[in-house]
Formats: sequence, structure tokens, C-alpha cells
Amino acid sequence: MADSDEDFVLSSSGDDRPKARGGAAGSSRRSTRKSKRADGAPAPGATRREKWEDIQRSWDNVVEGADGSIAGTVIGLLEATKRKRLLRDTTPIQRGIIRHLVLILDLSSAMLEKDLRPTRFLLTLRYARDFVTEYFEQNPISQLSIIGMHDGLALRISDMGGNPADHLTALQEKAFTVEPKGASSLQNALEMGRAELYHTPTHGTREILLIFGALSSSDPGDIHDTINSLVEDRIQVRIVGLAAQVAVCRELVMKTNDGDDSAYGVILDEGHYRELMMAATTPPVTRTEQKSVPSLLMMGFPSRTVEKHESLCSCHSNLTKGGYICPRCTAKVCFLPTECPCCGLTLILSTHLARSYHHLFPLKNWVEVPWSEAHTSTHCWSCQTPFPTNQSQTSPIKIKIRKPSAAAASTSNGTAAPEKDRQQPSLLPPTQRYACTDCKTHFCIDCDIFAHESIHNCPGCQSLSEEKIKSRANMWPPSTKNGDIDLAAVGPTLSMRTQVAEATRMLENSKIAPGSSMEVDN
Amino acid sequence: MDKVDGTEHYNFKAPADLATLQVIILDTNPLAWATFEKSSSLSFPSALSQLLIFANAHLAFSQSNRCAVIANHIDGVHFLSPADPGTDHRDPGEADLTLEDLKEIAQKNASKYRVFRLLEDEVRASYRRLIANTTPEAVMASPNASYLAGALSAALTYINRICFGGMGGRSGGVPGEEKSNVNSAGGKVDETGRTMHAKILVVSVTPDPANQYIPVMNSIFAAQRLKVPIDVCKLRDSTVFLQQAADATGGVYMEPEHPQGLLQYLMVGFLPDHLARQSLILPTKVDVDFRAACFCHKKVLDIGFVCSVCLSIFCEPPEGAVCSTCQVKLDVASLENLGKPVVLPPKKKKKKKAIDSLPGSGVASAADSPARTE
Repeated sequence: MADSDEDFVLSSSGDDRPKARGGAAGSSRRSTRKSKRADGAPAPGATRREKWEDIQRSWDNVVEGADGSIAGTVIGLLEATKRKRLLRDTTPIQRGIIRHLVLILDLSSAMLEKDLRPTRFLLTLRYARDFVTEYFEQNPISQLSIIGMHDGLALRISDMGGNPADHLTALQEKAFTVEPKGASSLQNALEMGRAELYHTPTHGTREILLIFGALSSSDPGDIHDTINSLVEDRIQVRIVGLAAQVAVCRELVMKTNDGDDSAYGVILDEGHYRELMMAATTPPVTRTEQKSVPSLLMMGFPSRTVEKHESLCSCHSNLTKGGYICPRCTAKVCFLPTECPCCGLTLILSTHLARSYHHLFPLKNWVEVPWSEAHTSTHCWSCQTPFPTNQSQTSPIKIKIRKPSAAAASTSNGTAAPEKDRQQPSLLPPTQRYACTDCKTHFCIDCDIFAHESIHNCPGCQSLSEEKIKSRANMWPPSTKNGDIDLAAVGPTLSMRTQVAEATRMLENSKIAPGSSMEVDN
Repeated sequence: MDKVDGTEHYNFKAPADLATLQVIILDTNPLAWATFEKSSSLSFPSALSQLLIFANAHLAFSQSNRCAVIANHIDGVHFLSPADPGTDHRDPGEADLTLEDLKEIAQKNASKYRVFRLLEDEVRASYRRLIANTTPEAVMASPNASYLAGALSAALTYINRICFGGMGGRSGGVPGEEKSNVNSAGGKVDETGRTMHAKILVVSVTPDPANQYIPVMNSIFAAQRLKVPIDVCKLRDSTVFLQQAADATGGVYMEPEHPQGLLQYLMVGFLPDHLARQSLILPTKVDVDFRAACFCHKKVLDIGFVCSVCLSIFCEPPEGAVCSTCQVKLDVASLENLGKPVVLPPKKKKKKKAIDSLPGSGVASAADSPARTE
């Protein structure tokens, strides 16, 4: 009783404090904070604010335009969020295209939590289905296996295989019928995953993606032994935590990824969960020579047959009319890519190989077009959407940066604010144009994203003759070699980009995360 | 547990009856058409009129159906309809007409359905502008120029804009959220977030642009992802790229035997929308050539060797076991049992010996072992 009383008093005083301060200062809360920042020292009488008290208020970032609408800001914020996903490294790096991945799902009682809708368990299964589809779409010649952590044991859901349909049925049949129960055991699951990856050929990658909902693990032995043997067998582990960061997970990820813990992520919300999970569908970068030994693989390119009468396929023993004939043993299989069930030859289509090429030759990032260059285009080249034409026609947009240094420069009086806008014009890209550095064509943000995420082509470069592209070589923006960016030439653009990244990070922070992630931040 | 979940019955959705966007990619290479006309007596103007009738038929199906025409020209890709917003919209063919002539044309077109007339006028005017800007030298300089990859990319980005509101990308839209039947603008939306269906028709007279293999394949996969069928009407020289495009996206591939009757082929083969296609047997080609050609001798292969780093295809292990594309030293140890029977003879002794002699015994035994029985 006494405890709860004390808590109550504390929290009520915390509630009162801002009210009282607001009343005493007689000004808006925003200005109070600004003056505090400008001084560099807390205002007299104010106590030190806890991290969780200092919530980023997203509505503070929105400023009315000249016409009183916030449409401009909203467009800017949307574009910044969309753009954030795009700014990735486009250096062509060697990636492990042939992958072997074990997906470990947590099926312990922690997954019954309802902090993700409808429950962690159901959402995880839904995302797991999406993951399987996406994984095989991105990595058609790779293999996958699914394991569950259920009631202290490792539960095999599907065997190592390359057919997405098998995994989806297995998920449907095994995982959906299992009720999450008991504790999860990291060691059991990792050992089972290791056993499955141990015999995979050396030219492929060996990966484990672990979805960890619990905060504890009940292991039969020393997990550090398991971690060491994972390192020995050069298995890379990625972890998506659903609750909070766990020390042993971090250690596990760091040890198996050469000291890099970027493969361990704790989710903020459903969208972030999906993002983290889908990040594992991109083939991992090959780090060291011994991680994977490049080799020459023998593969069969079968031809398709159409039969008049049904016959049994050798993979599922189903009656099918037509299929693919293995060029070595002439067995009929009904699905590609697969391993011939008779002679073990890898059977693929040349289109499956083509599907992986975009990982090897990524499309360059496009750059934002400043207003000085925007006059050359009136509409998006590929989707014909008109661009905003003139700077004066768009409402002035500004966003506050919550950096102490920037805040110090901008005082609360109105005259300084426009100047700040000019200094950081790209915070909200007002031209809404993005230019390819090769063909200099201008595109809108949606085409930018679509081209980089789905087509992996620049529609402009593919649609112009080489002479035309050459004749445009001197136009803005300067051409960049892939991965070898001339810092002097694109200096301003790069700084703009970091600013966008900065702004989007702040936007991200201003989201109010579910309770569990607060601990993670600390 | 799913069954107890009360959200189940909100998920029931009748398939939304959405309109269709037809994108036509038309080869306008003058030289290719001239050659084609000699052999088939189908000229470009008559082909264009027949295509426009096809487009009109598509527009006539539903008031909200739309149509776009993209020209794959010798100097690049041009939108014929919708025409570039920034350009001069006058028809160069009408520039020297007198007022009387214009009046006559207007009277002739007075009873035409407005949507048809707009599309026809726009396509014809854009095409005349395009030809007016093309010099004979440019035509002779690039007799087989084709920008198939660019045309497909442009068509897909346009479809992405019109049918998906620009959100058709991988991470577009709100992930995992149940989407409602109605979007913010009040239009109908189906479960994937699209507001319209789309299909692409490629009318081609040029050969495959061999240097565009990867971009074309990338476009095909993007179309597959958006569930946009690519129909192909190949008038001359059958091509592998377009066959694969139609096969991978579930479109129709046709090579008309009698090109004079183009309109009939178009109407019968390509007009049905996605709903009608479910209940039709489509006149498509079944045997598609999937065999790969090796990078070293351009031989067509049944069984080949693939570099695990860059996925180059070779017909035999390259010299010195170094991949000629990515210059990586390849491990050919696992190929040592090449030519030996895959199913091992029953002599146990020999097998053991063979395994022991190999350095990576785990790998070798995995490759050696007969097929898993499942």
C-alpha cells in the first residue's frame, strides 16, 4: 500500500510540473524550450528532464505555409520518409547469391502478447509467409528451412528446400496449429539450425534469421559453446527482437558477424518489424574470403514439355500434364528451381539467374534537383506527373531541427527563420524532382522508389540512345561512377542527403514507440 | 486460434470490379516497318489505324477504362498518349490546312464518341511530331534500334502511377495492414491496393535488343510483381525476350500468320481483360525456349557450369578455374566426380576411399550421395 501511495504522489507531481511552469512563464511551451536551448543551460527552477519526458512532438515540425495550409509540409514529410529507404549504398559488392537460411520462429508463451496486433504470434506467422515469398523472389536459387522454438524445444517446421510452396504449406499445417507455449530455448533452436546448415556446400552462405519474442532462454547447456561452434561453422545470425534488447542475442550477432551488431534489431512497431524481417531477404555482403569459397556449380537447364496424357512427376508423385525434363536423367519434375530427385542435378531456368542480377548490378541512387536546375523539366519523365513549377507557387515549408547547434542559430524572432530555410532547402525537397546522374532525366519520388525497388532500371537511361546520353554528359547533375563518388563534385548533394537522413531520423524518433522499445533506447 | 478471432468476417471481400488500363508499346522504327511492308503488305499507317480501333474497343468496354500509347522509336522512347505535357500540342499535319478543311474535318468527326476522337487525335498528332523530328540520317544510322527495356520501364512506372497511386514498390503502402475497399479518394481498391488493372501490349517488328538482356528481364520481373500481363504481338522475327516476357507474366504471345488481318488478331487475342481471361483458353505459345547460352562460346546448353559469385554460365570449366567475368578463383574440387556415375556402385570400399581422398569430405559426400527420399 505504502509503495503504491508513494508512486501516486510522484506521478501526480510530474503531471503538475509542466502546467505550473507554463502558467508561470506566461508563454508557449515551445518558446520556453527554445530559450533554454539557446542558453545552453537549463532554466532556473526546472529540474533535469528524463529522456522519456522529452518526447519529440511531431506537430511541432509542421508549420503552416503562406496560404495557411500544411499540405506542403505533409508532402515534404512523406517524401522524406519514402526517400529514407532509398539512400542505400550502391557500390557493386560481392554478395552471397546462393543462400542457405534457417528461419527460427519463437513459438513460446511470450508470443501471446498482444502488443502487436492481433497478437505477436499471428503477426509473426503472417510476416513469415510474406518473408518466404519475398525470400524466394529475391533469391530464386537459394534454400530455406523453418524451425520453431516451442515449449523449451526446437520444433522442425519445414526442411531445407527451395520450393516456397512447401514452406508455406508447412507453415500453414504446423505453425498455425501449434499454440504458443512454454519457454523458448535459443540453444536448442540454434543447434538444430546448425545441424541443418552444417553440410551445406561451401560456396553458399549459411545464415540464421531468429525472431525472438521472449526475453529469456532456457537452455540445456552453455549457450556460449553453441555460439562458438556457430562461428566455427561460419554461420551468420540475424536477430529480430520483439520485446527488448537481450545481451546474449547481441553477443551472438556480434560474434557471428565479425563484431558487427547491425544485424540485431529490436522492433518499434509493426511496420518496423516487417522492415527488419524483409531486410534479411537481400543477400548478405560477402565479408571475408573464407566465409564462402567460390566454386563452379553444375546446373541443368531443362526444357519444358507438354504431354497429351498425365504422368507422375518424380518430385511429388503427382499426376501432371507436362513439366520440366531433367537433361541428365530425363526425370520429370513439376517445379523449378529444384534439385533433380533422381540424379541430384540442380535444375533452374536462365530466368532464375537473371532475377539475381540486380543484386550484383544495383541501380545508382538518384540525386535531388535544386531549384536552379528544376526549370529544365515540367513533368516526371516516366509517369507524366506534373512537377511544381515555380518556387513562389509552393508554400514555404520549414522544419525545425532539434539539434542544439542549429537551434542556437535560430532564435524565436521571425526574421531569422526564412534564412534558416534557405540554408537547408533540401530538408523538404521542394522541387520534388530526382535526377539520374547518367541520363540527367528528372523523375518524381514515386518513380524513384519504384525504379530502385522494383524495376532496378533507370527508365531514362534505357530509353535514350547512347549519343543522347553522351550529349547530356555535361548537364547537371555530374555523373558519378558507381560506388566511387567524387566528393568535390557532389559535395553539396551529399550534405543534403545527410540532412534528409537526419530529418527522417528525427521523424522516426518523434514516433511514439510501444512501451517495450523505450527500454531499448536507453 | 484464427477461427476464434473476430476479425475474420471483416476480411470477406468480393473481387472489386475495377477498370483496366491498356498500355500499348508500339515499334515505330520506320526502316523495320518498311521492310516488313514489303513482305507482308501491312503498312504502318494501316497498322496504326487498326491499333486505334483496338484501343477504342478497349475504351468502349467501360467508361473508366484508359489507354496509353508509347512509341519505341529509333532515338528512344516517347509517349504518344498521354502526350508530354510540356510540348507543343499542335498537329504538324494540320498546320497547312485551311480553315475550310478544318471545318470539314470537324464536321466529319462531329458524331464520333469523344473519348475515341481524343485518343485518335492525340496519337496521330504525337506521331506526326515524332516523325517530323526524325531525320533520314538518324534512321539509316540505327536500322535495328529498339528500346524495349526503356519502353517497358516507362510503361510500368506509368502503370505504377495510375493503378497503384505510385505505391506499387516493394515497401510501398502500409505493410500488413488490412486495406479497405475504398481508398481516400473514394475510388474502388482491391486487396493489393490497386485502383485499376493494367495490361501491356507490345506490338513489335524489331529484333531483340541483345545488349538489354538484364534491363528487359528486370522489367519483366517488375511486371510479374505488379501482376501486369505483357501481351506480345510479334509481327516479324520471333524473339526470345518477348516470349519469356509473355510467359513469365501470363500474357499472350502471338505471331500473326496473316498480318493484314491484324485487327482480328488484336480483337480476339488481346482484348479480353483479366476477368474474361480466367475463363478463356488463350491463344498463346506454349513451348518457350528456356535454354541458356554460355558466356564463353554462345553455345545453347542443357547442362552448364555456373560461377557461384557472378552467375556466369560456362559450357565447360574455364581455363585455370578462374571465372572470366568476375576474375574469381573458383573451387572446382566438387566437380571432380564429374563423369562418374552419380549413383555409386555398391562396392563400399571404393566409396570410403574416394571420400577420404577429398579434402572437403563433408561436401563431397553430400554431392555424392544419391537423392534423398522424401
